[in-house]
Amino acid sequence: MKTITYSVLSVLGIWMLTTGCQTKDVTPDSLRNDLLKKTTGPAVVGDRIEFAYALGTTEGDLQNVKAEATIAGATGTGFSGYSWYTNRNTGVDQPVQTATDTVTNGTVSSAKIIDVATNKAVTLRYYYYPGEDAKGKDVSFRFSGTSSSGKEVSYQSPTYRISRMDMKRSLALVDGAKAYVSIADMAVYTKAEVEQNNLASKIDFVYIYRATLGTGNYAFGHAIVAPSNVDYLKDVTLPTGLAKTRTAIDKRVDVKDAQLRGTTGFDVYIDDLDLQQTTFPNAADYAYGFAADQGAFVKTADGAYAAYVYVNSVNNGSKSMTISIKRLKLN
Amino acid sequence: MLALVGLLSCGKEPIDESGLLITGRNQCFMTFFDLLGSDHRTVLVSGQTVIDTTALTVTAVAKFGTNIQRVKPYCSVVTDAIVEPTMGIWTDYTQPQKYTVVSGNRQVRKTYTVTVTVQK
Repeated sequence: MKTITYSVLSVLGIWMLTTGCQTKDVTPDSLRNDLLKKTTGPAVVGDRIEFAYALGTTEGDLQNVKAEATIAGATGTGFSGYSWYTNRNTGVDQPVQTATDTVTNGTVSSAKIIDVATNKAVTLRYYYYPGEDAKGKDVSFRFSGTSSSGKEVSYQSPTYRISRMDMKRSLALVDGAKAYVSIADMAVYTKAEVEQNNLASKIDFVYIYRATLGTGNYAFGHAIVAPSNVDYLKDVTLPTGLAKTRTAIDKRVDVKDAQLRGTTGFDVYIDDLDLQQTTFPNAADYAYGFAADQGAFVKTADGAYAAYVYVNSVNNGSKSMTISIKRLKLN
Repeated sequence: MLALVGLLSCGKEPIDESGLLITGRNQCFMTFFDLLGSDHRTVLVSGQTVIDTTALTVTAVAKFGTNIQRVKPYCSVVTDAIVEPTMGIWTDYTQPQKYTVVSGNRQVRKTYTVTVTVQK
């Protein structure tokens, strides 16, 4: 029995060795494509997802490219007519026009490759701007390209979840003026605006700048303070009827969200999950001593919103601060 | 000789319930104490922390504006000693907190009272 087993295994082994390593002579397709998603952050309304779609042919010329999204994108969605190469002398990426007739109609975007000898292989950028109606939904893309030889190739992307977050960039706060921030509105108001527009119940925090505070003149600086805090707002004439809501505010110094910062070079992103799961046990109703690139997690007193307030810049002279906000509706 | 060394080195050392080595050291004191705010930066005023290993007290001053209800303590202790309860969790320091330093041989226990005041 043992002998038979060994014999069978030996034959099987030899068969696998001789057949398993055979390579088929496959002629590569003359038209090929590939896709790279360049954006690493979450897909947030107000920002875009960037893809690089590459197409190359060894037969004839490239003609058209097409991208079909499962959900129509907002304004700005579509192909760019430019490819990019790195200038070897300067190290700087340079654009070169490789496509024209970039059109987006509903879910379908298309472009025509310019018919020149150097365009046998091009990589085009496709930008997708998620719309409001795409929030919380999954979106995927089917890219395709054609050549003059009549061939067509396509590439189906994975599925991407569009964030439920709202994002607002560059809100300018000024101490004693534009100082009243509403997370629900994602806006900043003056005292007069709060009073005139009956916003007294919608203010979640107030911006103040005090170089020093306390009996010992301790450093304080740029701060956001919930209306509930009497210590730090006692010298501020608040809008009439301002609700004394206690917004939970938890300062951070190392969360440099790349989308709120508005620049590349950082790979930190606040995502839906961060705002869903951030807890605020014994959190303060203020945060102070802000410098650029710092921020705070914030939860509104009614529990309706969690947000991350990012400080883009501060100015001691003009007593001002610029912030950007990512916000998630919790209930 | 090598075999003897090998045998001795394979001896089973005792460990506590946390898997930490129980050693022969009986020293039992705290050498350093700090508190972190929600931004994981120290909230204590430099040079104001006093550790009294005789009176078993730690007194410290937190910076003006510190939310003393949400700070995270950590400390250094003498070699092989441990601290109970575990530090490194968000703690309310509006009232003094007690921590026990336990020696490496787990035979000596000294309870420190940590008191933090905030600059006004």
